[in-house]
Amino acid sequence: MLLKGSKDVERLKGELESRYSRFDKEIVITTNATCCKLKKSKEVEEAFSRELKKIASTKKINMRLTGCLGFCEIEPIVIINPQGILYREVKPEDVAEIISESVLKDDVVTRLVYTSPSGSAYANKADIPFYKKQLRIVTGNNDIINPTSIEDYIAAGGYSALARVLETMKPDEVTEEIKKSGLRGRGGGGFPTGKKWETCLKAKEEDGVCYVICNADEGDPGAYMDRSLLESNPHSVIEGMIIGSYAIGSNEGYIYVRAEYPLAVEHVRHALQQAEACGCLGDNIMGSGHRFRIRVSRGAGAFVCGESTALMASLEGKVGRPRAKYVHTVERGLWNKPTTLNNVETWSNVPLIINRGAGWFAGIGTKGSKGTKIFSLVGKINNTGLVEVPMGMTLREIIYDIGGGIPQDKKFKAVQTGGPSGGCIPENLLHLPVDFDELSGAGSMMGSGGMIVMDEDTCMVDVARYFINFLKDESCGKCVACREGIKQMLHILERICGGQGKEGDIELLEELGAYCVDTSLCALGATAGNPVITTIKYFRDEYEKHIKEKQCPAGVCKALFQYSISTDDCNGCGACRAKCPVEAITGGKKEAHSIDLSQCIKCGVCFDVCRFDAVKKVPLKGAVL
Amino acid sequence: MINIKINSVPLEVEEGTTILEAAKKGDTPIPTLCHHPALDSFGACRLCVVEIHYGKRVKIVTSCNYEVWDGLEVFTDTDRVRKSRAMTLELLLARCPDVRMIKDLAREYGVKQGRFSEESDNCILCGLCVRICKERMGVGAADFVGRGVDMKIDTPYSRGSDACLACGACVTVCPTGAIDLEKRFSRNEPVPLKSVFNAGMSTKPVIATPFPQAVPNIPVIDSANCVYLRTGGCRTCETFCEAKAIDYDQKDETVEVDVGTIIAATGFDLYNPEEKPEYGYGKYPEVITGLEFERLVSASGPTGGKILINGKEPRKVVFIQCVGSREEGGKREYCSRVCCMYTAKHAHLVKERLKDAEISIFYTDLRAFGKGYEEFVNRVKDEGTTYRRRELNEPIEVTKKKGKLTVTAKGHPALEADMVILATAVVPREDSLELARKLNISLSPDGFFLEAHPKLKPVETLTGGIFLAGCAQGPKDIPDTVSQASGAASRAISILSKDTIMMEAITAAVNEAKCRGCGLCVEICPFNAIELKEINRLGYTVKVASVNEALCKGCGSCSAACLSQAVQQKGFTDTQILEAIRGIV
Repeated sequence: MLLKGSKDVERLKGELESRYSRFDKEIVITTNATCCKLKKSKEVEEAFSRELKKIASTKKINMRLTGCLGFCEIEPIVIINPQGILYREVKPEDVAEIISESVLKDDVVTRLVYTSPSGSAYANKADIPFYKKQLRIVTGNNDIINPTSIEDYIAAGGYSALARVLETMKPDEVTEEIKKSGLRGRGGGGFPTGKKWETCLKAKEEDGVCYVICNADEGDPGAYMDRSLLESNPHSVIEGMIIGSYAIGSNEGYIYVRAEYPLAVEHVRHALQQAEACGCLGDNIMGSGHRFRIRVSRGAGAFVCGESTALMASLEGKVGRPRAKYVHTVERGLWNKPTTLNNVETWSNVPLIINRGAGWFAGIGTKGSKGTKIFSLVGKINNTGLVEVPMGMTLREIIYDIGGGIPQDKKFKAVQTGGPSGGCIPENLLHLPVDFDELSGAGSMMGSGGMIVMDEDTCMVDVARYFINFLKDESCGKCVACREGIKQMLHILERICGGQGKEGDIELLEELGAYCVDTSLCALGATAGNPVITTIKYFRDEYEKHIKEKQCPAGVCKALFQYSISTDDCNGCGACRAKCPVEAITGGKKEAHSIDLSQCIKCGVCFDVCRFDAVKKVPLKGAVL
Repeated sequence: MINIKINSVPLEVEEGTTILEAAKKGDTPIPTLCHHPALDSFGACRLCVVEIHYGKRVKIVTSCNYEVWDGLEVFTDTDRVRKSRAMTLELLLARCPDVRMIKDLAREYGVKQGRFSEESDNCILCGLCVRICKERMGVGAADFVGRGVDMKIDTPYSRGSDACLACGACVTVCPTGAIDLEKRFSRNEPVPLKSVFNAGMSTKPVIATPFPQAVPNIPVIDSANCVYLRTGGCRTCETFCEAKAIDYDQKDETVEVDVGTIIAATGFDLYNPEEKPEYGYGKYPEVITGLEFERLVSASGPTGGKILINGKEPRKVVFIQCVGSREEGGKREYCSRVCCMYTAKHAHLVKERLKDAEISIFYTDLRAFGKGYEEFVNRVKDEGTTYRRRELNEPIEVTKKKGKLTVTAKGHPALEADMVILATAVVPREDSLELARKLNISLSPDGFFLEAHPKLKPVETLTGGIFLAGCAQGPKDIPDTVSQASGAASRAISILSKDTIMMEAITAAVNEAKCRGCGLCVEICPFNAIELKEINRLGYTVKVASVNEALCKGCGSCSAACLSQAVQQKGFTDTQILEAIRGIV
């Protein structure tokens, strides 16, 4: 199946469409991504295979094993087409019922449909609020594509953009189209992609050789957009890279992906083989004469290797340590040659722009930020998952309308965007739209799309400490500002959380944060101050409470409170006494219990097990928290 | 060329120049820690930050790796820059509170300690050691190990490296003195280069001026130890030498000069006292020679003129004279002539520097023969130095027990000593025999060059035009050497200043027609006056003897030896002599 141009692609697409149209029904199972695999989707898939065999003579059913559909909270998801019925958290024992009700008949298994936190049930995927408000263009095809099948991708319109580019566009026209679309780098920097390609092309004219890199070294805690894309639709990334290579005249590309993403690596490698077999990669791509190959390089998991210069050093086999970027990597990058490095999501956007036009893309989003952005919505949120929204959507809409708000109706406290280097945005700024410039203005950043929601039980000083601790572990250690600055920030934050905060600590943290921004060598250090600076900016009172009153209002910093059992509320059930690992709780049956503070290790087990809210967190001196 | 402004002062620099290089050109100081002109810029210490202005934008950049462009405006000392540098130094000070150069820099930027929790490291991770080893030496024996706050500099598996050349380049570039080459980095033991001029009591770099008044007074590369000449790496000195004077291709060369006269003034060697183990030299570091002591008290010496032994000032000092000299029936029966006086001088110097020092001198016979010498010895005695006479055939023994030296001599109480100084014999230069053969002069039985006549011709040799001066002829002190040298010089000049020279009237002459060119006369001539030359005889080229009349003393050896009677004394041919005898008879 060698594709020699757009005609071949169109013909194959037509063939596949007619092949699929012969099926009576289609069952979509999310089983080809890490998130659903962890929720035992494989067993569901096997159950379906078994059951389908039984009815094979009566019905022609297509089983499509897709990647991640974004709504990780309710996986494994099963969708029955053409009705579009979505079943959540399907277990193998549910399969027979689904087949008899929804496949053989057109009924709905009500107990398996999605119910929103407010209690409304939705049988159809399209009606679910989580999906309704999203604009899934990059991830939109995930429910019709088996990531291990190039045919599915082609049936969904894949590689038609590449065919068109090779047949009808000159390289500079491609770059021009990307420029016109207003696409900006999705990895966090937000640099205009078209401009990057243009500079690279110019530098390449002098040098002759240039490289294309896909940065899939996603390292932010709680962010997995890139993993999901590579797992669920690897060809879209590859097609984007091939188009990019044509635009800048490169013959060699790399996908730098974390070794911790084995499934992504597997899918990408598989996809590369398929693409090469189809003539979409290789010496003479679709008969155009363009030569391009992609290699997969696995990163060993250093966060800093997501930084372009460190990534390239790592690709070259050196230690992943950044260098100064006064000379940009588009001019002197990998092996000192011009290099175009874009993020997974950026590459994925490219075929879309070519297919549907720069004008269409530029029509989505805000003045400065075009298109959509995928966010990984995690933390204290009802609908955990990957959401793709048009730029310009407010944080409130994402968190409340798509994310379904905070579990247990707790109060929202902050949302952290941009990963460890991003900042915490408080409730009064939830009207901010997701937009590169607006988020930077608030002291945070778009980053690669991590979005961690925090509720009232979160201590902001502890959050800052957590992220600074993460950065301490991930700093490469080369420059003084990052290595020593982060270390000292962590010392101070640990002191504050430990009840040893001093007058002047906040100011010193601000000073250090600003210093890191100003003086660090690479973006890791230059943004390392953000978690501290924004939490101080928006939650200064919490810091002051920790320092002056030695209190942690959220009851997180263990050094600042102790557990106590309220004699009024305790009915002596003994649950806490039984669970206490150090036997610090005493009390007879049906008598109020008490905690021996000299023994208590503040593990919090008693607090969690008490069903009567009798275990309280009490400040070392003063009132109940 | 590119036009930039540094602190509003216009400056023209070449393309590709960094801000730091441009600032250096403009004499604007920018502090650095991880920068080294011979290494690629690294940009890790962040101390060299400056502010750059372009359009409305103001940015902080590191000057060491930011290349200038036309119209760039740089400010090196703004509040923002100072604040950034001060914080860098405050953080480094917290990391390395005991490192002096960080302390000094921090003080300069008004940084006080106390705001941050302190550690006690002394490595600032500037990476200079790693980079010089890799980039320059081509070795890479050590590298950064670990990441972030756990990063440190180490060798693979924290074991001493086999690859390490122990060249010490890392130690040299380390700004904080954090490198322990012997214990941590290398399996190869570093061999410090000993300064010959300081009698091995101090070390010297591979490139050094041999001694303070060397002629010509320029440094030389020790080719046996230069890393470039050993392995092809390094070449660091080249990048530093602004005069571009480093020439790795220079080699020792033999120079041939035509001269009229030669003065052999090749000096002397010192007797190696290790040959007499009873003195303990080479065994105990407290036993040193007079020359070593001379360097020790010199202001340009290894201790800057302080008399220190094992780092401490000695209280009891013992001098021993005649070490190797005046061996009855031995090789060195002569008196070295200078020891009595320099020992007296040394005793005086010890007394001058260390008022409470107890000084003893073991002597055999006190030979203070020069002008004012006796008076000086008496002065030294008056200062409190004890002179103790020794018998030459009774050996003196130096022993050490519990860290204390004891000097035992027959007829004297055993003396405790913190330091023993040996007056070693003046001996002929090691190569004096070789030189004597080359110059065709003789050696006296003691091995020094032999003068033509001990009383009447003390500067001449038996070979015409070759004279002697100084200790090459025999041990002597400075006044004697100067006198003899003056004499030798004037004798040489008296030959060179004349257009013609008076020669022996009776010299040998060759009858070329008779000469067979056997060369016997060439070998036999004690004055090197005969050579073989080529002539044309009846159309054939043949070799015949030829006499240099300026050298010929008319001794007659050649004519006596000549088998064909071709060489004859002018006016005293065999025939003439025989005729004269016949006439008399």
